[in-house]
Amino acid sequence: MSAAGLSCPACGSSSIVRDDLYSQTQLVCVDCGSVVAEGALVDDPVGGSDVSYSRTTAVTKKPCVNLIKGLQRVKAICRILRVHAEIEDLSQTYYKQAYQHESFIKVSLQKKEVLAGCSVLVSCRLLNWPITMGTISCLLDADPMAVGAIYQEMVKILNIEAPIVSVTDVMEAHSQEYKISLLHVPEELAEDSKALTKRAVALVELAADTWIVTGRRPIPIMMAAIYLAWQSLKPSKHRLKFSLDKFCQIAKVNKHKPALKRITEMKEVLCKLGKEIPWVREAVTPDNVVRQVEDILNHRYALLRRALRTHEDEHQADCEDSLTEEAAELGERTPTASSVEQCELNTEVAERQGDGDDSRCTVPALHSETRDSQDPAPNWGKRVLFAPPCVIHAKRRRTEQPELKDVTGDEEISDSEIDSYIRTPREARDFALTKKILEKS
Amino acid sequence: MDSSNDDALDIIVTNVVATFRTRCHLNLRTIALEGTNVIYKPEVGKVLMKLRKPKITASIWSSGKVICTGATSEDEAKLGSRRLARCLQKLGFKVRFSAFKVVNVLAVCSMPFAVHLIDFTKNNRPIASYEPELHPAATYRIKNIKATIQVFSTGSITVTGPNVQNVATAVEQVYPLLFECRKPLCK
Repeated sequence: MSAAGLSCPACGSSSIVRDDLYSQTQLVCVDCGSVVAEGALVDDPVGGSDVSYSRTTAVTKKPCVNLIKGLQRVKAICRILRVHAEIEDLSQTYYKQAYQHESFIKVSLQKKEVLAGCSVLVSCRLLNWPITMGTISCLLDADPMAVGAIYQEMVKILNIEAPIVSVTDVMEAHSQEYKISLLHVPEELAEDSKALTKRAVALVELAADTWIVTGRRPIPIMMAAIYLAWQSLKPSKHRLKFSLDKFCQIAKVNKHKPALKRITEMKEVLCKLGKEIPWVREAVTPDNVVRQVEDILNHRYALLRRALRTHEDEHQADCEDSLTEEAAELGERTPTASSVEQCELNTEVAERQGDGDDSRCTVPALHSETRDSQDPAPNWGKRVLFAPPCVIHAKRRRTEQPELKDVTGDEEISDSEIDSYIRTPREARDFALTKKILEKS
Repeated sequence: MDSSNDDALDIIVTNVVATFRTRCHLNLRTIALEGTNVIYKPEVGKVLMKLRKPKITASIWSSGKVICTGATSEDEAKLGSRRLARCLQKLGFKVRFSAFKVVNVLAVCSMPFAVHLIDFTKNNRPIASYEPELHPAATYRIKNIKATIQVFSTGSITVTGPNVQNVATAVEQVYPLLFECRKPLCK
């Protein structure tokens, strides 16, 4: 019992002291001398009356060794990546929090190491330091999918909202990997990294505007952009002959196969824009477009607008032709009336967006649907100038077999139907015999 | 409901998963012996039985729980499950068709426009998440109807939910969000 907060019942004073008399603690009032309370005959030990074995012999809880090692690993990863001290601190905090959560406390040490990498990744993302998951998985020498799974679980547990890294931000860091400066390769093939990065970034932005980037892995896109940028900065015959394979060899990076497809897609887009350059006389093909890349990139917005307008005009001409055909065939008022309404609607929508390259083309869609009933979904990708590549080259779907329409779920099930699923006793015997024979042999 | 959206969009249900109980113990070896179109998996402890019409695969456990997958509508799933229960009845088990429940519905839908996934994710954080290095689609989870939508940049979406009504509601909910991300925001 503490002396504070007690008052003497005799005189009401609150100055009560503890007095040890004959090994018996007593609480005595200073003013009047009356004993307020007496302890038990047995001296109460300090810190409570029961002495528990486990408590008195317990070793002080040391911090988990693996946690300390993990924190050091986090620090090491941060040092390798040369990030700010802020990122280092934040990633250590996150690692500690995640480590002690129930979903991560009992996982394997390998996973805990991946967790260290993920905490660095999330801190970099939050503090605007662009790195890719690929970099982290390279550093940890782990499967990128495993890293991804642990990253997503960690973000869910710690409730973090990390911004997505855009490809253009990562471009600079990625281009540092390519050993293509004067120190590493002969002058013919060398390129200043700043100029290379700048052009590659412009290529990636163009690709982003024309649906090549969305939904794709960033690294092959970056590789394709750097390759094209390198070729176009000095489009000599020697450089143009260099395949992606050879380029990766001299730059000492691992080639990514999808990069080849991205190169083709980017060249297609560049061709579409190259056609609009007024001072180019010859036809622009994927083979000679690399020489025009500098001009295309410098004037890309103007060229994009021109290309879209040309495409629109071409399509208008096609639409009008098909409309007049339809009008002549049907000779009815109603479809044209509805198409006029649609046209108005579409122009409204177009006005709101300000770039109606595909809005006017929904009108012929109505007509084409009535005409070709074999082609149920008109491929909108073919009508638009720029669309994600797998829409332009859409896979042909097998026509679905219309099975079992108007099923209610409560129909009668006939016996004969069910019998087809059951073996006759003779068949069952034969089956069992055959199985035995097969097992024995 | 926006009528112009509805007749443009075709929501195609590709898979319905349903479970039911037979309220009796099932001898898997008997089923494997006397049933046709049956695959016995002793290591897992279940039997896979395939029906021809409707095209359904059922996983049968000895406890009497059965999971049916492969149907293309809720009614078809029910019909297939009942057929299966009749089949087991004929094999000699005292089957009572009970606790039928549609557990999961998977549907696909195609938008007539491409979707810019980064803008879509930015506008809808934290409900939407997108990791281009891991998966080409952005995931959008609607908590209150328990639906998950995967949005691809080509405009195709896959929707999974507990029943067909929820799936339709989910598509309606997500359509305007997709519509506003049709074109890249920066031009």
